[in-house]
Amino acid sequence: MKRFSQLAAPYIVWAVIMLLLPMLLIVLYAFTDTGNEIMTFRFTLENFVKFFTDPDFLLVLWRSIKIALKTTVICVLLGYPIAYFIAFSPDRMRNMLILAITLPTWINMLVRTYAWIGLLSEGGIFSQILGLLGFEETELLYTEGAVLLGMVYNFIPFMILQINTSLSKMDRSLMEASNDLGADGIQTFLRVTLPLSLPGVVSGISLVFLPAVSSFSIPKLLGGGQFFLIGNVIENQFITVGEWNFGSSISLIMALIMMGTMYVIRRLDAYAAGGRKEGR
Amino acid sequence: MKKLMLMAAAGLMAMSLTACGGGNEGEYAGQTLHIYNWGEYTGENLISDFEELTGCDVVMDNFESNEQMYIRVANGDSYDILVPSDYMIERLLQEDLLQPLDKEKLDCFDKLDPDVLGLPYDPDNEYSVPYFWGTVGIVYDKNKVDLADLEAEGFGIFADEKYKGDIYLYDSERDSFMMALKYLGYSMNTADEAEINEAYEWLVSIVETMEPEIVTDEIIDNMAQGRKALGLIYSGDAAYVISENPDMGFYLPETGTNIWSDAMVIPKNAENPDLAHEFINFVSSYDGALDNSVTVGYTSPNLEVMEYLSGEEGDYYGIDAYIPRSGNPNDEVFSYDPDTRVIISDLWSRVKIAASNAG
Repeated sequence: MKRFSQLAAPYIVWAVIMLLLPMLLIVLYAFTDTGNEIMTFRFTLENFVKFFTDPDFLLVLWRSIKIALKTTVICVLLGYPIAYFIAFSPDRMRNMLILAITLPTWINMLVRTYAWIGLLSEGGIFSQILGLLGFEETELLYTEGAVLLGMVYNFIPFMILQINTSLSKMDRSLMEASNDLGADGIQTFLRVTLPLSLPGVVSGISLVFLPAVSSFSIPKLLGGGQFFLIGNVIENQFITVGEWNFGSSISLIMALIMMGTMYVIRRLDAYAAGGRKEGR
Repeated sequence: MKKLMLMAAAGLMAMSLTACGGGNEGEYAGQTLHIYNWGEYTGENLISDFEELTGCDVVMDNFESNEQMYIRVANGDSYDILVPSDYMIERLLQEDLLQPLDKEKLDCFDKLDPDVLGLPYDPDNEYSVPYFWGTVGIVYDKNKVDLADLEAEGFGIFADEKYKGDIYLYDSERDSFMMALKYLGYSMNTADEAEINEAYEWLVSIVETMEPEIVTDEIIDNMAQGRKALGLIYSGDAAYVISENPDMGFYLPETGTNIWSDAMVIPKNAENPDLAHEFINFVSSYDGALDNSVTVGYTSPNLEVMEYLSGEEGDYYGIDAYIPRSGNPNDEVFSYDPDTRVIISDLWSRVKIAASNAG
């Protein structure tokens, strides 16, 4: 076995170059600025001070977190029943359903988001349906609803697949046991199925919340230029303003927020798992 | 070591095989021209015609903004031809990233409109040959907007509450600040912070009261379909919109606008400058320029093409937007000032933040 582990060497080189090095560069950039002509860069905390003392940026950060939270809640509420339905379908149907959920993710995310532009724009299918139903034809594109829809649409497969996996792994005899002991369907769900599927929900939440909070292409396409989230601020700092140092420090702040979120989620999961064990 | 040599030899053979594989005949057979250009900015057959003419292979990458192009070029990516805008050419020159053109190899200057030659960013055209040019103005729906309002208010019409919720702004810091500075009667190249701040306040007041949509190229299709009353637009895009929808008009405020041009330049690290000169000649020739201008809709610097297309048989007959305005003393060409650029891009992102916080 030991001989095989040497086969991982190229992968480690790859990981250092493609993963570790860029991260270190971001950290380096975040704590420096371009300096003057004698010193090409100097260490500074100014970038962080600039971010945290500016109400504009903080407001954008707050809006980004809010919309990511909304996305996550909707994904759980919609994704759970779907995953439940899939997990308890007959085998062949389950495979078909999982394929149906995965299939759209094979298409590039940008292409799918562009498709929504056509569907949501004035004169598109949705505004026509609203018109037929007697509502005033309004533009659905470039609203918060459109951005939320785009995010839920893009990220919900991750939630469904995670929950489905943990529901499928569950030992079905536990449900039978619960029934035998007199619990009705709702009780069985709340006290057996739901707690056992929580790990799936938790990893689903991290797979949805993290990309949603830093997303910049979805708000740009479906929210328009007047819908600015923290991902757009970062993109803007790199591409148009050209302040790589400031852009890097916002990226680093975001990375820390995400790691913090992950930590909290994992702890919650561990706590829930502990609770389950004690309950036995 | 032996193995390595073998592999290198095999690699070389494979490379020479593919180079011969094109089967093209022509002076430049087997050579490759690397172009970095705006997306959807070349004539339908321009590239294939050029390949046929010279026998070379063309590899063209596209960019969405001058800044995006700049980052790659400044980081050392090698291209033979770039097509940046005026102010960006000035920046590339300031940073010594371009090589002078060899005028012996160029036969295009007498075909081009003198109005688009010798502009401030390159007064003797030592480094650049224009590709497209035009102005920035207001595209408007003649059924919804009163021309008298436009004449009275100029760019100020974007702050007129009569058109609240019915306007597009263009998501570009330069064009937006140009509009604001011109409305306020300043030079769009001002470095005066008070003037820039006034322009910023004006833009913030627009996004806070007028519910504009801040878009980029979406404005083209949306105005062609008449979805909103007003929008800030490049003249070439307006020409296209009007050719699709005759209800649309194009207005240039008397307080002045931006006369812009995109031009072909050869970067210092170009691998094939000879072929690049050939390409410049081809784009500037009647056939190349006609193909470009018919497909894209922007104004050709080739005088004969411009006259043909705006003439009775041309695609843009009767569309003013196709012919850039000349003679208004308030019109200006962008120049590049690194400090002001950073201030303006930062302020523009704050305008957008204000817009999202207002919404």
